[in-house]
Amino acid sequence: MSPRLRRSTRPFPPDETLPEPVRPAGLVLDARLHLLDRQTLDVDDVPVATVDDLEIGPPGSSLLAGTDSVFVTALLSGPVLATRIFGGRPPASRLHRIDWRHVTDVGTTVRLGVHGDSLDVLWVERWVRDHVIGRIPGGRHDPG
Amino acid sequence: MKRLLGVALGILTAIGGFLDIGDLVTNAVVGSRFGLTLAWVVLVGVVGICLFAQMSGRVAAVSGRATFEIIRERLGPRTAGANLVASFLINLLTLTAEVGGIALALQLASSVEPRLWIPVAGLAVWLVIWRTKFSVMENVTGLLGLTLVVFAVAVFLLGPDWASLGSQALSPTVPAEEGAASYWYYAIALFGAAMTPYEVFFFSSGAREERWTAKDIAESRINVLVGFPFGGVLSVAIAACAAIVFLPQAIEVSSLSQIVLPVALAGGKLALAVVIVGIVAATFGAALETGLSSGYTLAQFFGWSWGKFRRPAQAARFHLTMIVAMLVAVGVLMTSVDPIRVTEFSVVFSAIALPLTYLPILLVANDPEYMGEHVNGRATNALALVYLVVIVVASLAAIPLMIVTGAGS
Repeated sequence: MSPRLRRSTRPFPPDETLPEPVRPAGLVLDARLHLLDRQTLDVDDVPVATVDDLEIGPPGSSLLAGTDSVFVTALLSGPVLATRIFGGRPPASRLHRIDWRHVTDVGTTVRLGVHGDSLDVLWVERWVRDHVIGRIPGGRHDPG
Repeated sequence: MKRLLGVALGILTAIGGFLDIGDLVTNAVVGSRFGLTLAWVVLVGVVGICLFAQMSGRVAAVSGRATFEIIRERLGPRTAGANLVASFLINLLTLTAEVGGIALALQLASSVEPRLWIPVAGLAVWLVIWRTKFSVMENVTGLLGLTLVVFAVAVFLLGPDWASLGSQALSPTVPAEEGAASYWYYAIALFGAAMTPYEVFFFSSGAREERWTAKDIAESRINVLVGFPFGGVLSVAIAACAAIVFLPQAIEVSSLSQIVLPVALAGGKLALAVVIVGIVAATFGAALETGLSSGYTLAQFFGWSWGKFRRPAQAARFHLTMIVAMLVAVGVLMTSVDPIRVTEFSVVFSAIALPLTYLPILLVANDPEYMGEHVNGRATNALALVYLVVIVVASLAAIPLMIVTGAGS
């Protein structure tokens, strides 16, 4: 049997008063609530991808330990969804990033200030368009 | 005047679009076995779908988010992913049933083997999805589906014993020759037929296709609240036709030709022709809706570009999904599986999957971040909570009842 703490023995004194966290000025976003699993739209309101995960770290390094604050550096989408559901993590070369600097607004959707065509996350969409759907007659015309 | 015409058109298409192969088959089977003793379930189902559809239409109009985007946001990737797998498979089952229904109806009209019609039907449905405008597609199938009113006419022409039909409907009891388990199994099937989840995917995504805004809420509410109850009346008429013709003979309906037989007896060849047009339109319309729903659910979960208002090339993965779904449905039907049996299973599985879509919609309809001032009122929430209990109970009871009754046989 694994040694477990009994419920009555708390690792801190019961009358301990914890310091109130400082409330930062400006808009407060909860990464889980406001970013993860939100739809991203490009500058023309065309859906790009759902935010499957976030890349967090000080810009330019992957080390988290020893730094005071961390930043959301990119929104991730694609294969990272599978590892988020089943655990593990894909190799860094497989991550499809949307840089945080492209984000212009966070509401019920996350808006980007660039065209979807310039983003790597949409390569599957472009591949299907160019090799399958765009080749079927009528595929490049307006319906109706 | 134009607005009034718009409302009238919306109501008429809601009536014609309410019925699909699930309603046709389940109501006829139930009518032939239980008479009108299960008519109350249609009432419960219609009130439920009115509540559910106007809630999801309102969420889509106000927040601009369709059902599966919301499910993903609220439930996270794991639960929403499981939900997606279940919803997508059940939707595929329903699509298979609808395409099979088109083929069976065309067989009635032409005496040509259904397996020759299946690829034709699949191709025709895909072509309409590929090329036709959303509003044209909706209105044509909806208006042609109105010809199913002939079922209601047939009830009068058959000259039934109104007193006995009335007593079956108003004081329902389990018929002596049927077990209580089968009675409740078919109650769940009828409930699932009236409240199929694809209607909600389709309704909320359709609101985005037609670019509804908060201004359109009132109109959509009238369409739903007037159109769907009339659709429910047609459902009961189908059950009544079967109850009048088959119940006294103790014949169980098991084919499409039996479903239309009461109409042919009452109105002759002309009525038969009209009802076949109606069935083709209703199943074709529902095949379009389920076909599109397969694309909607997947695209909204993964955040792909979707919608019929875009060129296919601008929603490539959405269109590819629908092509694959249609190929699978046609492939399954070509194994000569009986579409009527597929339908019977699809409505029960629809009932099982209902809580998966109902709960997230209910949560978001109460969330001011999405809905602003258009959150649910108290009366809606009270009714919605009652239905939450009904839906969960039906969902939990469905599989045990299916095992006990041997799927109703």
